[in-house]
Amino acid sequence: MERETHAVSRRSALKFFGAAGGTLALANWTHATRATAASPDDAKPLESFTGPSANPHWNSVGPYVVEPQKAPLILLTDRPVQLETPRHYFRTVFTPNEAFYVRWHLAEIPNAVHLTEWKLRIEGNVNKPLAFSLSDLLQKFKPASVAAVNQCSGNSRSRLQPRVPGGQWGNGAMGNALWTGVRLRELLDAAGVKSGSLQVQFEGLDTGAGPKGFGSSRFQKSLDLANSVIDETIVAYLMNGEALPMLNGFPVRLVVPGYFATYWTKSLSWIRVLDTPDDNFWMKTAYRIPDTPRGTTTPEDLKGGKVKTIPIERMPVRSFLVSPDGSSKIPAGLGVTLSGIAFSGYGNVVKVEVSDNGGSHWHAAELGEDHGPYSFRGWQTSWTPKTPGKYVIATRATDEKGNVQPDEPVWNAGGYLWNRIEKQELVAGSANGGER
Amino acid sequence: MIGKRWKTGLLSIGTATLLAGGMLYAQLRSGSYGSRNAASMPQEPVPEFSADGKYDAGSYPSFTPELAAGDGKLEVQSFCATCHSTRYIIMQPPLPRATWDAEVNKMIKVYGAPIPEATAKRITAYLQEHYAPENRKE
Repeated sequence: MERETHAVSRRSALKFFGAAGGTLALANWTHATRATAASPDDAKPLESFTGPSANPHWNSVGPYVVEPQKAPLILLTDRPVQLETPRHYFRTVFTPNEAFYVRWHLAEIPNAVHLTEWKLRIEGNVNKPLAFSLSDLLQKFKPASVAAVNQCSGNSRSRLQPRVPGGQWGNGAMGNALWTGVRLRELLDAAGVKSGSLQVQFEGLDTGAGPKGFGSSRFQKSLDLANSVIDETIVAYLMNGEALPMLNGFPVRLVVPGYFATYWTKSLSWIRVLDTPDDNFWMKTAYRIPDTPRGTTTPEDLKGGKVKTIPIERMPVRSFLVSPDGSSKIPAGLGVTLSGIAFSGYGNVVKVEVSDNGGSHWHAAELGEDHGPYSFRGWQTSWTPKTPGKYVIATRATDEKGNVQPDEPVWNAGGYLWNRIEKQELVAGSANGGER
Repeated sequence: MIGKRWKTGLLSIGTATLLAGGMLYAQLRSGSYGSRNAASMPQEPVPEFSADGKYDAGSYPSFTPELAAGDGKLEVQSFCATCHSTRYIIMQPPLPRATWDAEVNKMIKVYGAPIPEATAKRITAYLQEHYAPENRKE
C-alpha cells in the first residue's frame, strides 16, 4: 500500500511539475501572458488614420479633446471645429448637450455672442422686415418642442469604398435632443411672405476667410417655401431644456425634423425670403446626391458624367448596437442585454431586428418609449451566447414607410447617406470549470 | 522505513503547495500595471462671468499635429491654413495622387483660394508624396 502510494505519488508529482510548468507558461502569470499576447494591454494602440480600406471602428480614430462647454469628444478638425460623439453616449435616447457632435464649415465661428446686440432678422421678399432679440423670441411667441435627430450628411463617411475626401466620420456625427423654440412659420407670418416667393434662406454668424461670392466666405442653406417641412421647422433656443452650447449654435439654431443637419443652421441670424432659387455654392454645388435609389452611384458613372444630382434632404433609416461594444469578452451562458438606437427621417421606426449570426436569422427587439417620429427610438433584447466563440451581431431597422435597412453599401462622391446594416463582433469566452 | 515515510510526506506537502499555487496562478492575473503611459488631459478651469449680455465660450483650442517633413511643407502651412487648419490633411484617409490633384484644384477653382500656379503644383506634389496610399506614414 505504502509502496504503491509512494510510486504513484512520485509519478504524479513528476506529471504535476510538468503540468504546473505548462500552466505557468500558458496563461496567467504576467510574463508568461506577455509572451502569449493574451492581455488587452498588449494590443497595439489605435492607428492614427484609417484607409485606403474602410474604417473598421465604430467611431473615427482621432484623439479625445476638450473644447469649451464640451465633454472630451473625438477630434476630426480643430479649425473649424469638428468633433465626433463617442459611442457610449448613445446609451441614452437623448444625447447630452456636452457630448453632442460638432460640425462647422467655415473657420470664423462665434466664440462670444452679445445678446444685448444680437438680433434674428427676417428680411428679403417680405412685407415687413423684422428683427427679434432672444427675449422677443421668448416672450412674443408660444414655445414649440420636437424631439429630433440631428445627423451630419457625411456621418459614417469613413465606411465608403473607395474612400472619399471629406470629414472622416465614424458613426458619431449624430445626436438626438428635445428642441424648443419658435415655429418658423410664425416668424414668416409675422413678417408677411410676399406672393411670388420661392424659398427661404438661412444664415448664421459663421464666416470664412475665402473671397466674396465663394462658399468659403459664407454658409447659406435654403428650403422651398412649398415644402411641408417648413411647418415642422423650429428656431430653437433650448436643447434638452438648456441653452445651446456655443459650438452647437447658441443662441438659436434651425431644427428641420427628419432632414440632414446641413439645413440646421447654427447661430441662426438671418432668415431671408427669396423670389429666385438659391444658387449659392452650398445649394447648387455642395450637399448634393445622385438622383438614384439610395443616392448611390459608382466612380465610373461619375467620371462618365452620367450622374444627375439633387439636393440632399431626408435621412434614410438606420439602427445601431450601442452596448455591448465589443471592448470586453462575455462569458458564455451569461445573459447580456443588447441595446441601441434607431431612427429614420421618413417617420417612426416600427421595427428593429437583431441577428447574432451576421444577418442570416433575425428576431425582433423590444422598442423603447416613442418620443415622436423624428427622435431616436431605443431598442433592446436579451441575448445569451450559449457556446464560446465569435458572434456577429447585426441590427436592421424598418420605418413606418416600409423602408428597411439594406446590407448593401452606398457610394457617392460626397460620402453621404450611408445606412448599411451595422455589424459588431462580440466574443464569448468559456465559463466551463476545469476546461483547459 | 521512517526516512522513506518522511520523504513521501515532504513530497506530498510540496506537491500540494505547488498544486495550490498553480491553481491560484491559473485563476487570475493580478498586479499588472503595464509600461504604457495612460492618455490624459488636463482639466479646464471654470471661467469667471459677469451678469451682462455677453456670452463668451472663450477661444477654441488648437490641436494641429506636425506635418510630414519635405518639400512644399511651408507652402502647405501658409496657403492651406488660411481657411482651415492642416489637420484637415491628416484627417483624410490616404488619397490617390489624382484625388490630391483634384482637391487642390477644388480649393482654387471652387473655393477661390488665391494660390499661384507654381505654388499649387508644389502643394499638390507634397500631398502626393506624403499622404497617398503608397507612402503615408503618420
